[in-house]
Amino acid sequence: MWRGLWTLQARAARGLLRLCSRHGSGVPAPGSGATIFALSSGQGRCGVAVIRTSGPASGPALRGLTAGRDLPPARSASLRLLSDPRSGEPLDRALVLWFPGPQSFTGEDCAEFHVHGGFAVVSGVLQALGGVPGLRPAEAGEFTRRAFARGKLSLTEVEGLADLIHAETEAQRRQALRQLDGELGRLCHDWAETLTTALAHVEAYIDFSEDDNLEEDVLERVDSSVRGLEAALGAHLRDARRGQRLRSGAHVVVAGPPNAGKSSLVNLLSRKPVSIVSPEPGTTRDVLETPVDLAGFPALLSDTAGLREGVGPVEQEGVRRARARLEQADLILAVLDASDLTSPSSCNFLDSVVAHLATQSTNESSQRLLLVLNKLDLLSSEGPGFSPDLPPHLLLSCLTGEGLESLLEALRKELAALCGDPSTGPPLLTRARHQHHLQACLDALGHYKEARDLALAAEGLRVARGHLARLTGGGGTEEILDVIFRDFCVGK
Amino acid sequence: MFSLQSCGRRVAGSLTKRHLLLARFSGESGAPRSPHFDVVVIGGGHAGTEAAAAAARCGSRTLLLTHRVDTIGQMSCNPSFGGIGKGHLMREVDALDGLCSRICDQSGVHYKVLNQRKGPAVRGLRAQIDRKLYKQNMQKEILNTPLLTVQEGAVEDLILTEPEPEHTGKCRASGVVLVDGSTIYAESVILTTGTFLRGMVIIGLEMNPAGRLGDQPSIGLAQTLEKLGFVVGRLKTGTPPRIAKDSINFSILNKHMPDNPPIPFSFVNETVWIKPEDQLPCYLTHTSPRVDEIVLENLHLNSHVKETTRGPRYCPSIESKVLRFPNRVHQVWLEPEGMDSDLIYPQGLSVTLPAELQEKMITCIRGLEKAKMIQPGYGVQYDYLDPRQITPSLETRLVQRLFFAGQINGTTGYEEAAAQGVIAGINASHRVSRKPPFVISRTEGYIGVLIDDLTTLGTNEPYRMFTSRVEFRLSLRPDNADSRLTFRGYKEAGCVSQQRYERASWMKSTLEEGISVLKSIEFSHAKWKKLIPEASISIVKSLPISALDVLKYEEVDMKLLAKAVPEPLKKYTECRELAERLKIEATYESAAFRQQQEIEEVQRDEALQLPKDLDYLTLRDVSLSQEAREKLHFSRPQTIGAASRIPGVTPAAIINLLRFVKTTQHRRAA
Repeated sequence: MWRGLWTLQARAARGLLRLCSRHGSGVPAPGSGATIFALSSGQGRCGVAVIRTSGPASGPALRGLTAGRDLPPARSASLRLLSDPRSGEPLDRALVLWFPGPQSFTGEDCAEFHVHGGFAVVSGVLQALGGVPGLRPAEAGEFTRRAFARGKLSLTEVEGLADLIHAETEAQRRQALRQLDGELGRLCHDWAETLTTALAHVEAYIDFSEDDNLEEDVLERVDSSVRGLEAALGAHLRDARRGQRLRSGAHVVVAGPPNAGKSSLVNLLSRKPVSIVSPEPGTTRDVLETPVDLAGFPALLSDTAGLREGVGPVEQEGVRRARARLEQADLILAVLDASDLTSPSSCNFLDSVVAHLATQSTNESSQRLLLVLNKLDLLSSEGPGFSPDLPPHLLLSCLTGEGLESLLEALRKELAALCGDPSTGPPLLTRARHQHHLQACLDALGHYKEARDLALAAEGLRVARGHLARLTGGGGTEEILDVIFRDFCVGK
Repeated sequence: MFSLQSCGRRVAGSLTKRHLLLARFSGESGAPRSPHFDVVVIGGGHAGTEAAAAAARCGSRTLLLTHRVDTIGQMSCNPSFGGIGKGHLMREVDALDGLCSRICDQSGVHYKVLNQRKGPAVRGLRAQIDRKLYKQNMQKEILNTPLLTVQEGAVEDLILTEPEPEHTGKCRASGVVLVDGSTIYAESVILTTGTFLRGMVIIGLEMNPAGRLGDQPSIGLAQTLEKLGFVVGRLKTGTPPRIAKDSINFSILNKHMPDNPPIPFSFVNETVWIKPEDQLPCYLTHTSPRVDEIVLENLHLNSHVKETTRGPRYCPSIESKVLRFPNRVHQVWLEPEGMDSDLIYPQGLSVTLPAELQEKMITCIRGLEKAKMIQPGYGVQYDYLDPRQITPSLETRLVQRLFFAGQINGTTGYEEAAAQGVIAGINASHRVSRKPPFVISRTEGYIGVLIDDLTTLGTNEPYRMFTSRVEFRLSLRPDNADSRLTFRGYKEAGCVSQQRYERASWMKSTLEEGISVLKSIEFSHAKWKKLIPEASISIVKSLPISALDVLKYEEVDMKLLAKAVPEPLKKYTECRELAERLKIEATYESAAFRQQQEIEEVQRDEALQLPKDLDYLTLRDVSLSQEAREKLHFSRPQTIGAASRIPGVTPAAIINLLRFVKTTQHRRAA
């Protein structure tokens, strides 16, 4: 038999763990973990964006952003001027709501900020919240999970939860893949590696140095790599341009076999000649991307090399990049030559890409896909119909523009679903998350430097590494032990 | 490293008729000729002694079965206890009123606290122990423990009966069959067989079945466990040769002196048995390039090492050190084996070369040029049972009321064994008296980390405790093990004496009082600077600070503070331990506070229990990947917290599980 989920409270920490922790200054007393925040409205075009917090520091955060004014009356909207508590810089005039626990969505203290939906305002408020002590960006599904853990969701609401979490983790995974596929990603990985090695060496010094002959200068080397890391992180955080490199908008990738007309479609949708088009298969060798406004939604449109095997090394690389980009797509525009559906490359593409995605139900919120049959103009008007096995598709002629209206309508529906759904991991929040963890990593390195006690110093590095791991993945104990046993001859 | 999947031997488990018949026969005959105990512990090593004593302390009539009574408490390998991480475990065992810390305080010959300058959270209490004394003292303790009986005998088989329907498991352990055919009945059985399950001792190319040099292995028991369907793996360990003390030229070696005064392991001892000046020194020497040559030239004569090419990541043998880190000298510590022992233990020289080559190798080491080898080093290979098959109370999921502790679970080290022994003993006893399982969380102790790692993740190399495995290292310190565990040990486990409980209560309340007093004393920075000129207090700041904040300065301790503010602080310096612990609390206050949130998040997930009888492989209505299903099926995490630590179980899978549990609960309630 198992005990009920709801009646159980976490077993109170025993003994001295709590002894010293009751009298913290400034920060609210612990009791329910960290306070989280997130943009909870969709990212499409909207007049008002809603940002939510949940946790014991919600009250202080609300006061902090409203220049220290008293909390508004519970559960009623008040108009306040929001400003950044650190710089004092005004952000927006907004409606704020205060929901003291347990009568709130998550059962914890919650605050809501209804701000004007502009990019700069939302981004400013998120960054201001990230700077409030005790607050951190929410993980995938964390709000819902907290509500769930406190019995605040009805059974029907719970039903949708797993799908939501799946969607969020999937979207975050794609988002992370995109982020890490670039200069910023390489930087983060390098930093994480440096930090892992530094921590492992300090740990080796703690766990082994007295019995085993570790080199004398282990700690000095760690000090110098931490100094280097601090400088790099500091420079990165001061350089605002790097933050802009996170690409925003839904990622729409045009893919298909060679010479299906992918580049023509990209040019048509972006209304400018992004890609070179020619009748020769394999004209596009690299991934070309262009920001576009598709049916009113911001999107990043990528043209990719036609997928085929057994070609020269340059085109092979193009194909590899195309496949990598497919992995990161939110929406795939699969383009086939309507007059060439039975060719091996078309069949192959249908089997390997289209069939795979078309069979998944949409509420699993894996990637979405629109199948477009191009070159409608080449079909004879009374030619044989398409095979009934073909998944739902749209007909188009890039040459004549026939079918463009219905394609745009389909795109609008897909993008509305994608962007209206908070699960796609709004880039604004991604950016706030990024900055939050990098800043927290830098702060923790400060604790390392201050500490005279080696256990405290190691804790600084551990916390710093934890923040980077939120961006890069990894970060377990086994990784540390691997480095220790790789770099040192220890053990009896 | 070998993988369990490829090398493990899994035999479809089916109860043999023999077992059930035997049990039924005895049931029908109703003849209580066979003795009957609450708890039977098999094995008298470090896990077995702690398990037996803990079960007896909890009030169970307990039997300790061992091959030979005179090997109870034998230290089969190194003549030392404790160290970094291991010392933490000993303190926790002591906080639960276990034996090894107290016995070490009566048997040590060289006490030394490691990491003294690196911070109290990572200090490692360690001592060289007199083997003979340890054994004597342990035997005296075991033979005088109320409710505990000791019997010699080799166990051949388990008595298995029909399972209790309200628990999972295909059958129930109800006693043991000895080699001579006699039977002993028990309500719970604890196996602590160490390296004896199909143990094999290896020197050079020679392999002999033995659990330890000179002792028979257990083969029948290993077969029974395999037949029951336990997944079995194989591990290796080794021990160095022993050298005649009088053949070593100590005068040219680096001498290392013990602490003066020695710090005791146990919370209940103020001092250790030995006078500080009577302690024995250790010596340090190093290998030479010639040692490398001998190892490398003779790899073909070394079957243990050949197979170790994929061995553990750390370097237990001199061969692996030479192979993995060539062209270096390696440390060899020469450790005394006891007050009146003629032997020296060369720590760091674990080796499995043929004996004559070992002797040759030894003489290539500085100070050992004329050394006489008394006993060769050897390797041991033995079976262990994948610890993901046991619950955090150390009971097996396949067989009810059967508990495993120590090396059988894939760990290495006396302290790791002792820690599991205490927990197995308490839980075996609780099972009999129908009390809930006693589980220590990873947020409460190193014991919790050890058992959670084993039962959730398993291991494929001998698992050793390191402080780096412990996320909450700053809170789980050697100094406060009593505050963390003694109260639970007294109230929930029932394994702690009244005297120890009262001592821990006094310490806890005095500490709390001391901290609030320290917080209440506030002066300006300038005044503190005047009172304690030694401290690097900045007088630029104008805000007043408390005595607790001042105590955080590295150079300030309670003595200095009490000199500055005698009233009311003087009384907190009278007890050395109290004064030290106040200083430690101050040192870690801010960090412990920062960690508190993280601790609470872990505890929240640990409070969400998963049903024990879920069949993850066939469960419908839950969307789980095949990988997640298999991992959950094998590890059977008891809480959402444990499930989320299994690699391959995604956040989405966790929520799916929560949803399923909630739905089922709803239906059952309806």
